[in-house]
Formats: sequence, structure tokens, C-alpha cells
Amino acid sequence: MASSNAVFLIILVLAAAVFSFSAQRLVRFLRLGQGTHRFDALPRRIVNLLTIGFGQTKILRDPVAGTLHALVFWGFVVLQLGAIEILVAGVVPAFSYADLLPVPVYRLFLLTQDVTSLAVLVAVSVLLYRRLVVKPRRLQGDQVHGGDAILILSLIAALMVTLLLTSGAERVTAARAPAIVQPFAAALAIVLSRMPDSLLSALHGVSWWSHALLILVFLNYLPYSKHLHVIVSLPNTFLSNTSGPGTIGTMKAMDLDAETEQFGASDVTHLSWKNLLDGYACTECGRCTAACPANMTGKPLSPRKIVINTRQRLSEVAPSLVGADDPMSALPMHTGPRDDTDSGARDRRLLDHYITEDELWACTSCRACVYECPVSIDQLEIINELRRNLVLTESRFPEEIQPAFESMERNGTPWAFPASDRAKWAEGLDIPTLAELLERNERADVLYWVGCMGSFDERAQKTTVAFARIMKHAGVRFAILGQEEACHGDPARRMGNEYLYQILAKQAIETLDRYRVTTIVTACPHCFHQIGNEFPQLGGHYEVIHHSTYIEQLLADGRIALADPVAQRLTVAYHDSCYLGRYNAIYDAPREVLRRSLPVVALVEPPRTRDRGLCCGAGGGRMFMEERIGERINVERKKELLATGADAIAVACPFCMTMLADAGKKLDSSVTVLDVAEVVAQHLAEGVTAVPRDVA
Amino acid sequence: MRIAVCIKRVPDMDVKFRIAGHAKGVDETGLKYDMADFDGYAVEAALQMMEKEGAGEVVVVSLGPDAVQETLRKALSMGATSAIQLKCDEVPFDGFAVASALASELGGATYDLIMFGRMSTDNANGVVGPMVAELLGLPVVTACSKLEIVAGRGTARRELEGGAEFVAFDLPAVVTIDEGIARPRYPSLKGIMAAKKKPLATKPANLPEPRLVIARMDLPPERKAGRIVGEGAAAVPELVRLLQQEAKVLA
Ligand code: SF4
Ligand code: SF4
Repeated sequence: MASSNAVFLIILVLAAAVFSFSAQRLVRFLRLGQGTHRFDALPRRIVNLLTIGFGQTKILRDPVAGTLHALVFWGFVVLQLGAIEILVAGVVPAFSYADLLPVPVYRLFLLTQDVTSLAVLVAVSVLLYRRLVVKPRRLQGDQVHGGDAILILSLIAALMVTLLLTSGAERVTAARAPAIVQPFAAALAIVLSRMPDSLLSALHGVSWWSHALLILVFLNYLPYSKHLHVIVSLPNTFLSNTSGPGTIGTMKAMDLDAETEQFGASDVTHLSWKNLLDGYACTECGRCTAACPANMTGKPLSPRKIVINTRQRLSEVAPSLVGADDPMSALPMHTGPRDDTDSGARDRRLLDHYITEDELWACTSCRACVYECPVSIDQLEIINELRRNLVLTESRFPEEIQPAFESMERNGTPWAFPASDRAKWAEGLDIPTLAELLERNERADVLYWVGCMGSFDERAQKTTVAFARIMKHAGVRFAILGQEEACHGDPARRMGNEYLYQILAKQAIETLDRYRVTTIVTACPHCFHQIGNEFPQLGGHYEVIHHSTYIEQLLADGRIALADPVAQRLTVAYHDSCYLGRYNAIYDAPREVLRRSLPVVALVEPPRTRDRGLCCGAGGGRMFMEERIGERINVERKKELLATGADAIAVACPFCMTMLADAGKKLDSSVTVLDVAEVVAQHLAEGVTAVPRDVA
Repeated sequence: MRIAVCIKRVPDMDVKFRIAGHAKGVDETGLKYDMADFDGYAVEAALQMMEKEGAGEVVVVSLGPDAVQETLRKALSMGATSAIQLKCDEVPFDGFAVASALASELGGATYDLIMFGRMSTDNANGVVGPMVAELLGLPVVTACSKLEIVAGRGTARRELEGGAEFVAFDLPAVVTIDEGIARPRYPSLKGIMAAKKKPLATKPANLPEPRLVIARMDLPPERKAGRIVGEGAAAVPELVRLLQQEAKVLA
């Protein structure tokens, strides 16, 4: 073994030791988090890893920067093979894949290494240009580590240059394959071959050593950089629940009987280790914040900041919490707090010192951030855990939501309407309640869960009646709960009041089970999501169908007879509800209902639509809070919808309906907002009974 | 400082009441109950005084059947120290009977301040507080919208039509609380859990024979439907004519 090989071996072992040291430290920090089970549903996790992770599907949602980044990522994966060869050859000079692989495979390897290194170099250069000259808005703010990004990009560029130079120089002395499999190295070799031999061998030595050392420097810099995501993002995607497994968008289950005084999270140690891992995985790309309706309209909330703050707070407090367990504390150069006598870090916490109440209450729970995140971070779960702490542990919240809590408790609805008025909309419509059917010994095929908006809100009642008319027309045997229906507590849950939520949800489950309800239809996406996706956490299992899907099915089955279409061309813009769209992937059913019921309809889409749809501003309990800071989200959204030039705006959610109708008053716009059920009900051929397709 | 707050469990007011068959009270089916609004303010004001002092005790007292324990627990979950239920089957309408039972409990202990809501939201008599003061021989200030206690002496603000009055008094005393003094806090789950472990004593209520009872209860007559005379300025002459001739509210 030549002395240079021995030196390299020592460097390699040292680098590996330091890296494992850093890695163990990060793992210790993660262990400060609460437990969460993330190894269930392996097939789903593997699919996520392959698509979102290796397939870079989320990254590619931004076509330009996404493609460049995907190139760098795939390049990295491909170049790992080459890096291993280089590192081994540093110790055992004779080592080469050429001796291990059949010739065609080896040539393929060389080709990939050659082409990839140049492609990565080009992509990294464009990314650097973007950071230094273009400076996109999404990469600013939230104290992101801009310098760090430039350092890392330059490091990668240097890695590629040294790699190309090494291969080029190698080709001059001993080409291992025809030029065609190493086109760029071969081109370089032509230039380099003009050099005197001594200079060439010096150049080869310098570029080889720089490349090998840069790999090790890069590896050891990562744990202390936001580029930790290079290592963590794939495991994070695998361990994440944001794209399944289980039901997407359900809030974390909570055991209220646990012997604890801490409900929800006020500091990092109350969060799960996965929330903490999210902090390590964040690339600070700002895709989440760019899609956040609260941030867009000038609220202090930035989902990226929530994640960055989680990481910052963890690095602040973790060393003092792991104490002597922190391998860093054994190091002479360690200057951080050594043990739990450090009170500075201990006196601060994640809530208040990093994340303020105003940020937390600005969230509409629209899930845009979660949906956009390329590394499957769950920003919303951190927000929700902090909200839970505010309400359950500290009783701190905007004062206007207290009446909503109290009303849910007393009246079974967040608004101050008497429970006895719940079924008033149904008076004279001859709609039976389940209690009445039971008395007559009859059965209903479906239960119509009307929801609080649909029951009490004057505007939403029109949708309620429209949907009831459609079902009657189609001969659906349905019933309502009438006065036995009460709020399922979803608004309370979203606002952090898990205690009130569980009381109400359990009561609702008790009522539904008493009537042995199996199938439920509802016109409210929040009821739809809550009963269908979150009740199972408390033992309530029902098939819940949203009215857009249900009406689409009735239309498809030919169970609805429509009056002759008016030959007037109508342009409609459909607004996606977050809880239908991003939470439940229902995008087509409401559009299909519009198409089928209005033969001359022209559907137009605002630029932000479907899974990119902008929230109306009502979710996450925002409906019950004042919007004191910044622009109004509903006005922003309405402007986008009006810009399509539509004659009417269609919605499939009573909350969206209110928000968009209210925005109309501010924008002085007379464009009507209609629920998809109302559109269909307007065109029912009264008196005609449709002949179901399977019969005709 | 030891403070007693007397609270009452009343039906939620956001419902449409029906008269019960015996016509001497409301039909209780489907009613939801909670602490009377003004009593909530009183509890909050007491808690704030205790917190400000950093010491002391807030004891909540309620008269009634076991259902009042729920209301007492709510006050405990807000932060009260302990609770006393004066047990009886039914809360009498006669304020004097209630006051006598309360006074016999409160007189035995040494409280610096005995607090009430200005009146209960169901019966709205507003007499129990002053009667307890009378029975115990204490000074009473009613409908306080601000309250301050410094070194055994209290100052209270009372809202008057178009003005305010500031009353000074010595402790011990009885005060009844108006709204606006402090918004009652929403109990945290932490508070609710803690309340389960706080002491709640149940004693028989020492009730005298009531001297008055409800003879009959009526709902207000249904309002007659309004009439739309027309729209805009054109409708004014007809409106004036109707107001003069039919409603006879204009001369
Ligand atoms: S859920 Fe929506 S409102 Fe809340 S932080 Fe994410 S993007 Fe912003
Ligand atoms: S949380 Fe995700 S989307 Fe947001 S900045 Fe971090 S990596 Fe980007």
C-alpha cells in the first residue's frame, strides 16, 4: 500500500467516525420527541418512497426549478455508484468496477457517470444563477439559510468539475473504454492531452484528491446544514403519513384519559419524533409558504417558518436535555450548554418564543402546505398540536371563539341557534326522521346528515332543500335525524378543543349507532370528512357519500329527469373545497354534475384550481374568527374566480358558499354563487319520473 | 382572602321555552343547563382577586339537587378551590327560603367576601344576595361592575343611568356582580382534570317553608304578522294613514 493510500485510509476512517458521531447526535435529539408508529402499511410507504421520493413527483410540480432539482437528485443517485468506486480506489488503487462487471454493463456505468456529471453541473449552475440573480420570492423570508444553499450548490459544482477533470485526465493516460461511452471526458481529454505529462499527472492528482475530499467534506457538513435533507428526505417520505397510509388529512388521535397535565404541544418535546424529523428534512424551499392562503394575504403565518422554528428550537434545547448523553459534550471544542443547569434554553419554548398565537390562529387547515411539500412534511400537524396546547392546557384563544365553543356545548351547533329549530327547513316538505320511520317500522336507504350550516344558515338551507328535492325526485328513500342531529364537533377539533370534540363526536356516534345507520349522504365537506374519516378513531364506522358524488351517480344512472336544457350558454367557474379536494381527492364529481345537468355549460378554471385550489378562508375554525390582519382570503379567492369571466360560481360546500357570497358584497359583484345541487334542482323536470338506465 | 361565590344552575336561554302541563313552570324536556350568566362573572371576578393576591381561597356554593354538582365542577374547573352543595330536591322560587339556607351555611364560616351574580337568569328576582347580607348582618353592594379590595376595604363601581357611583365598604361584606366586570374564562382541559380531584362537600339544605310559590306561568302572546304597505317614498302616505287610523300611534 502506497503511503498516499494509507493517508487516505486514515482520512476516510476519521471522516466516517465524525459522520457517525453527528448522526448519532441527531438521532438522540429525535428521541426527545413523543412516540408515533410509522412502520405500518409498508406497501403504501414504499409506493410513496418510489413516487414522491425517487420519482420526485412533488418537486416536479414546479416545472422549472423542479426539473433542475430532479436532475440534481437523480444525478446524485447515479453518481453514488461512482463515488463508492472512487473511495475504495483511494485505499486499494487497483480497485475498479471494470474488473467486476461485464464489459457492456461497465460501459453503461461509465456513460451514466459521464453524462450525469455534466448534466448536474449544468443544473447546479442554473440553480446558482437563480439564487444569485433571479432571487425568486419563494426563497426569501423566514430567515432561510440562503448562504448555506449557495455554499452547497458551489460544493456540488466543484464535485462535478473535479470528477470530470479526473476522468478526462485518466482518459489521456489510459482510456478504459471507447470515447463514445465517455463523450464529455473524452472531449476534455483532447484538450488535456496537449499538456506536458508532469502537469497532467499533477492535475490528475489534485482533482482526484479534491474530489474525494470534497465528498467527505460534503458528507460531514450535511448534518449541520439545511441540506441535511439530502440524507433525511427519503426516510422522511417513507415515514410520513401525509400521502397515506391511513386516511389522509385526519387529525392525530388523542387519548384524553392519559395521566398527563400537558395536552398538545408547547415545546418540541411534546411533538412526535416525526414532527422533529420534519425539521431535519425541510429544504427551506418555501413551496408550502408560497401556497399558503394565510401567508398570501399578509398574515404572520408561514408554514415553512413553523418547520424551521421546530428545528431551531430543537437544536437550542436538545443538547441541554440529552445532557451527558450528547456525544458533543465530550468534545473539547464543545461550547454549547453541557447539562440541565443551562436555564436560558430551558426557560424558552417553541410556543411564544418561536411561534406566536397569531400565526397559529391564522391557519385555515387548507392542507395546501402539506400537499406541496416535496419531502412530505406535515406542517399542519405541528400547528394543530400547538393549538391543542393553547386551548386544552392554557385556555388561550381568540375571544370570539368562546361563544362558538359554548354554543356547541349547549345547543349542539357553533352558532347561537336553538336546537329545536334544527329541522325547520324541512317543515312541510314531508321528509321523515329516522325516529318516525322506526315508529312506522320502515327503513331508509340513506341518512341525510344535514349539518349545522345546512340546518340553520338561511343561504345554506336553500342547498339543503335543493338536495332533498333531487333525492325525492330520484326516488331515494332517505330520512333525516331532525332534532336528534347535533354538531359532531369538527369545528371544535380544528380549533384545538379536542375535549369538546370527543364529547360531541361520541354523542353523534351513539345516535347513529342507535338507528343502525350504515350509509350517510351530506352536502357539507366538513361533515363528510369528519364522519367518514375521523369518526373511525372513536369507533364510528359509516359509509359517507358527499352530495356531489351522490348526485353524479344518480345522473349517471339516469335516475334524474332534467327539463329541456335552456339553449343559453352559461359559463361556470367551479371552486374546489379543501375538504373535498386536497383532503378527499374529489375533484371530478362536482364538475361532472355541472356538465351533465347543464348541457350547454362551459366550465372555466381559475389558475389555482383542483389540488392547487385556493381556500375560501373558512376552514380550521376561521369561520368563527375575525380576520383582523391583512387582506381577506375570501375576497382574494373571489377575485380569481371572477377573473375567469364566469357568469356563475359553483361550489359544493356551505362554508365556501358563505365566504364567496360575502366576498361578493365587498367586490360589488353580482355574479351568483350556486351550490351544484341547486344547479341540478333548477333543471329538474317536475312531474316526470326518470327511468333508470338499467331498466330502460 | 376567603371568598364564597354562590352560583345557580339555570336552563340555557337560547331555546324556545314551553310551559309545563301544570302551568307552574317550564317544560324541562330537552333543556340544557349551565351556570347563570351573572354568576359566571362573579366566579371570574373572585378568581382574579385570588390570583392577584397570590393566595386565598374561592369556595363555590350552590343549592339544589345533585345536578348542581355539574355546575359546581365547572366553577372548580375554572379554578375555584372547593365546592359545597346544599342539597334539596328542588330549588324554591322563594328567594327568602334560598337566602336562609345559604346564610345558615355561610354564617358558620369566616368569609371575607360573599359574592353573587346580580340576579339569576331564570327567575330574575335579584333578592337572594341582599337577603343573605341582611340575615348575616353584613353590608351589601349590589350590581358591581368593578370591584377592588385593598387591606380589608373594598371599593365598588355601580353603573347608573348616564353615570357611575363608587361605593366604599368594609369587609366582610356581600356583593352582587353585574356583567362587564370580567369575561368568565373557558375552562381548560387541564382545569377540568384538576377539578375532578378538588373537594366537593354535600350537606342537606336548611330550607324553611317557602312563603311564596308560582301560581301560574304564561308565555307572551304571539306577535301578529307585520304588513308590507309598499316600497319607497310612494308607500309613506299609506303608512302614515294606517299609523293614524288603525294603529292610532300617530295623532
Ligand atoms: S394548512 Fe393552509 S393555511 Fe394552514 S399553514 Fe398550511 S397552507 Fe397555510
Ligand atoms: S416544509 Fe416542505 S415545502 Fe415547506 S419549505 Fe420545508 S421542504 Fe419546502
